[in-house]
Amino acid sequence: MTDQELERRLCTAVDHAVPDQLQSILSRCEERKGTVIPMTENTKKNKRRFARMAVAACLALLLVGGGAAGVLNMQANAVASVISLDVNPSIELQVNKKEEVLSATPLNAEAEEILTDLPLEGTDLNVAVNAIVGSLLRHGYLDSISSAILISVEDQDQARATRLEQSLTTEVGTALQNAQSGASVLSQTLTQDTQLDTFAQANNISVGKASLIQSIMGLNSALTFEDLSVLSVEELSQLAEAGAPALPVGRDAAAAAALSYMGISQADARKIEVDAELDEWQPCYEVEVEMTSGEYECAVDAYTGEILWGNKPNGSTGTNTSTSTGANTGTGTNTSTGTNTGTNTGTSSGDIGEEKAKSIAYADAGISASSATNVKVERDWDDGRWEYEIEFWSGSTEYDYKISGTDGRVLERESKTHAVSIDSMITAAQARDAALAHAGLSASDVWDLDVSEELDKRTPYYEVEFKSGGVEYDYEIDAANGSVLRYNQERD
Amino acid sequence: MWMMLGMMPANSAPVPEELEQLLLGVAAGDREALSGFYARTRTAVYGLALSYLRSGHDAEDVTQDTYLKVWDSAGTYRPQGKPMAWLLTITRNLSLMRIRSRDKVVDMSQEDWNMLAVESSDVTAEDRQVLTAALYGLTDQERRVVLLHAVSGLKHREIAQILEMPLATVLSKYHRALKKLRDLLEGDEPL
Repeated sequence: MTDQELERRLCTAVDHAVPDQLQSILSRCEERKGTVIPMTENTKKNKRRFARMAVAACLALLLVGGGAAGVLNMQANAVASVISLDVNPSIELQVNKKEEVLSATPLNAEAEEILTDLPLEGTDLNVAVNAIVGSLLRHGYLDSISSAILISVEDQDQARATRLEQSLTTEVGTALQNAQSGASVLSQTLTQDTQLDTFAQANNISVGKASLIQSIMGLNSALTFEDLSVLSVEELSQLAEAGAPALPVGRDAAAAAALSYMGISQADARKIEVDAELDEWQPCYEVEVEMTSGEYECAVDAYTGEILWGNKPNGSTGTNTSTSTGANTGTGTNTSTGTNTGTNTGTSSGDIGEEKAKSIAYADAGISASSATNVKVERDWDDGRWEYEIEFWSGSTEYDYKISGTDGRVLERESKTHAVSIDSMITAAQARDAALAHAGLSASDVWDLDVSEELDKRTPYYEVEFKSGGVEYDYEIDAANGSVLRYNQERD
Repeated sequence: MWMMLGMMPANSAPVPEELEQLLLGVAAGDREALSGFYARTRTAVYGLALSYLRSGHDAEDVTQDTYLKVWDSAGTYRPQGKPMAWLLTITRNLSLMRIRSRDKVVDMSQEDWNMLAVESSDVTAEDRQVLTAALYGLTDQERRVVLLHAVSGLKHREIAQILEMPLATVLSKYHRALKKLRDLLEGDEPL
């Protein structure tokens, strides 16, 4: 039976099994008709992530006052460009036309911490930006894949602004790549705008971030500058991408809702991480809470503060008490609150640990730990609980256990006795070499090499797959003696 | 006015543009649009719910709740060409909440499954065989991956996003699941 036939059979079977619930659904929908929210027609598809950023930059250009020369002048030691770097910390760098830093100003408290012990005045702009990115990474910013840094270059000379924007974007991108950070780099060029400057100063944010906020207000006029200015660049860029349907509840409210749901007080949490996912299919904040008893996570609806899904310590009576107004209406009202009414009474709420799980499995199998070989352990969060999947061999018997991480119960057990002991079988590397030798190839000649174990078959074997010279090879190698049981070659 | 459509043929993934158009109608309160959306997607939703819950009754409840959530929140859907992923994320979240609300997974026993098969005249002996193999012969993750691919027509990358698993894990679980299913349906014959 081919893969396609198998899939078709499965699909047909589910298709036949699904009951027709349409009338029941429609009857319940009628009761809720009053809550339907009209959708703004927006048929744009596959929007590029930063398309709206480009709009923001263009908007800023249009807003330039005709003769506004102002602060920026072209004298030798005068300010030629203003660079702002925004994550949540906002930093403003003034540079001269030689691209040397004249001043580095922290625009908020977080930025003061970032700039501590960084003497940037007089240094080359690229050196300064690298030092700032390094400090941001050391302080735990830009470590999640959805985080973002916004680089804004404000300069009357558009050609120079564009060149600086490009070189800084490359510089920061390389620094992040070297640090193995998956954060995004957003950039824009601006020319001086007095109104934007005023807004930025009043809210202690950079002109670059102010420009981004302005573009979001262009998408939803109900949102206010003050409400948006407290959001991070990551949240703002995602909000712009999503079309700014409403004001998100924010990280603090999301964390409070999650703690309330989990029944954990802030003081008991060792670490709380909040990751905004506003441009996902179901906009949310993902909250991870680390306790001594284990890690818990949940997703909080970005606009209502409602818990979408999550797990919490056993015995917790925490509840979702978040309330929110203004969701999806763009009123900009954020009244989401989380009340911690929970008590964590789950003393064994985490899990028993890998070693304990293994010892339970060995005891159940009636073998000693020293006689277990080829032991593989996986811990999964499944069906609302931690589970350990433990595979091992003892002599010629293969065992497969599923142990509850919560209380150590044996949930599933399976054993098979084979004709050959695993100790007398060849290794995966030996199987790979046997297949390559049969094909007359060396490891450096092939790619997409994959070796999988099929040791639970009556004739245990390794499946070895690889590609070379436009041909796809597929081998089955006898695990007992390394002989080729079957092989197939197809044009790739 | 939307035309009522019959059940989609097996293994035929719904067209995203068509679903997005229907969602526009749902957002505007058009019940016919919801009917059309339901006809095209109900197998995928029920299949995913069943793969999480392994209980016919719970899967039915979650399926109903999924479409009520669609009715309520179609207005917040942003057309990005991925309506199935949006829909199935709702189903996944509701399934997880359902699991959380009960102490342990209530497995649909072999007997229950046979009863369901008897009640539904559409389920053939062959259907029962393949569903039993998928529900009882695969691990939870293997079952979800293979159902999402086979029944919902989602790409492996999209499945990785919905199930929050690395793409490589999805691929290996998918291949392993098909292999297991084949062994179960054809018998574990030696080479």
